[in-house]
Amino acid sequence: MKFKIIFSFLGFLLLLFIAVPIFKMLTAADPAALLETAKDAEVYNAIFLTLRASLWATIAALLCGVPLAYLLARKDFRGKKLVEGIIDLPVIIPHTAAGIALLTVWGRNSWFSKLSGINIIGTEIAISLGMFFVSVPFLVNAVKEGFNLIDERYEKTAVTLGASPWKAFLTISLPMVKKSLISGSIMMWGRGISEFGAVVILAFHPMTAPVLIFERFRNFGLKYALPVTALLILISLMVFIVVRVFEDRKS
Amino acid sequence: MSLKLQNISKNFKQFALKEINLEIKQGEYFVILGPSGAGKTLILEMIAGLLKPDAGAVSGIDRGKIGFIYQDYMLFPHLTVYENIAYGLKIRKRDSREIKALIEKLAARQDIEHLLQRDVLNLSGGEKQRVAIARALAVSPRVFLLDEPTAALDRNARIKTRSMFMDLHKETAATFVHVTHDFEEALALADRIAILIDGGIVQCGRPDDVFNNPAGKETADFLGYRNVFGGKVENGLIDIDGVTVAVPLEKADYAYIAIRTDDIIISKQRIESSARNSFYGTVKNVINKSSMVEVVLEVGGAGSAPPNGIELAVDITRKSKEEMGIEPGMPMWATFKVSSIKIFRH
Repeated sequence: MKFKIIFSFLGFLLLLFIAVPIFKMLTAADPAALLETAKDAEVYNAIFLTLRASLWATIAALLCGVPLAYLLARKDFRGKKLVEGIIDLPVIIPHTAAGIALLTVWGRNSWFSKLSGINIIGTEIAISLGMFFVSVPFLVNAVKEGFNLIDERYEKTAVTLGASPWKAFLTISLPMVKKSLISGSIMMWGRGISEFGAVVILAFHPMTAPVLIFERFRNFGLKYALPVTALLILISLMVFIVVRVFEDRKS
Repeated sequence: MSLKLQNISKNFKQFALKEINLEIKQGEYFVILGPSGAGKTLILEMIAGLLKPDAGAVSGIDRGKIGFIYQDYMLFPHLTVYENIAYGLKIRKRDSREIKALIEKLAARQDIEHLLQRDVLNLSGGEKQRVAIARALAVSPRVFLLDEPTAALDRNARIKTRSMFMDLHKETAATFVHVTHDFEEALALADRIAILIDGGIVQCGRPDDVFNNPAGKETADFLGYRNVFGGKVENGLIDIDGVTVAVPLEKADYAYIAIRTDDIIISKQRIESSARNSFYGTVKNVINKSSMVEVVLEVGGAGSAPPNGIELAVDITRKSKEEMGIEPGMPMWATFKVSSIKIFRH
């Protein structure tokens, strides 16, 4: 009994630490100011730009990350530990550093820019790149764990029933990791939305919501930063809840 | 066309399959018998083409006509029973009406009509097995590959399943390759048996031949021989921890002997007979089995008293046990003929 009480208490402390600031912030924003902010085109644009750019990053990550997650879960190969290490790298390096690193490859003076004649710095693409870099580990690792939990013999059985490896992957493996795909995508998308460090270096303009929050806070103070922050959190929460509920309904 | 495995070898991290050679005739019921971890499933996966051998080749199999059934049946959990059975047919792009008609037929055969729209997750073990067989049958396999198909069932269901596989074999006239660690199952089903120990085939033949003449000590152990001993042989006598037994071999630095539990006679008095091995001992345990009683006798050298002897297991009928009034602690004689002893060099 004591065991349960102490554990619950410690867990409760942690929840408070997260929930109290968010609650305080949501309640601190004056409803009238919140409404005003929602009508502010700059805020509105920043929030939708953020959601959209992170969505592009997540879609791109699904395309390349799911095959990689599958390989990591199913195959043993030389250098596998190294690959896993590279995937985890963005989680541990400072995100401003990640932004600088990306600049060396995609920046104005980079090979990419010189050869293609395209400048992506300061565009939505650059924002997506920054978000992709810092949040892709969440998707790859979640999907990899998903594949790890699935007995390979399901795929083998499909092959004995006449399926090609492609067909077995599409009709058996992929549907069986649906839960991990969805939760991994939500995690990555959410992580992308919240990204500031890497994004601000690749594109100060157009402003994403986190950059706008920072800018308003620096130039006008807490009072003006609060409504934007509250709005971003409310919208993000709403989207997550809708996706989760939709997913639960289906399964 | 017979199914051939020629010089198959495959290395794994802590384990290797070594030069597997098998020829399985068309329509044969072939059982690969071996302890768990011997590589049985891997052989099936290589026959099915799911795994490539490092060396050697599998020939004589149409991989579009395989019925592979894994131990836990591997029913696709995100599909219904109907969709599971339809899987191989949809892959083959059959017409949906044709699929429906075939599934109805298979469902009737497997007695699963009432389960077709169910999720596979909450089926019983027996139901899962029937669905898995229906799913395999849907693609009209010419070779069935069965990976411990009864290991997940209780004893009664296991015995019923044996007869079901016999029927399936008769009905389809397909080749069956069935792997198991259960020698009773192998004996019941097999036309021929191969024994796989530590990644190598140690013996292959008709069930009776294999059971009566195990090729080595490990095989004898695995086939359930209870009296297996080792020792040095000189002048036709083997020395087992100080107990000497007359054996059908003159001399060997080390050899093993095995004596079947029903080749030993036990008696209250010494029997004067032509049998050269007769030992005095004490009953240690009396163990009831389903049809017989196993008497474990601790014996020393001829006429001497235990302890420091060897343990002999002897099967007798319940009736003999009653009539002789055998109890633990009773002094008894054990007698067996030299010719009943099987001898192995390894």
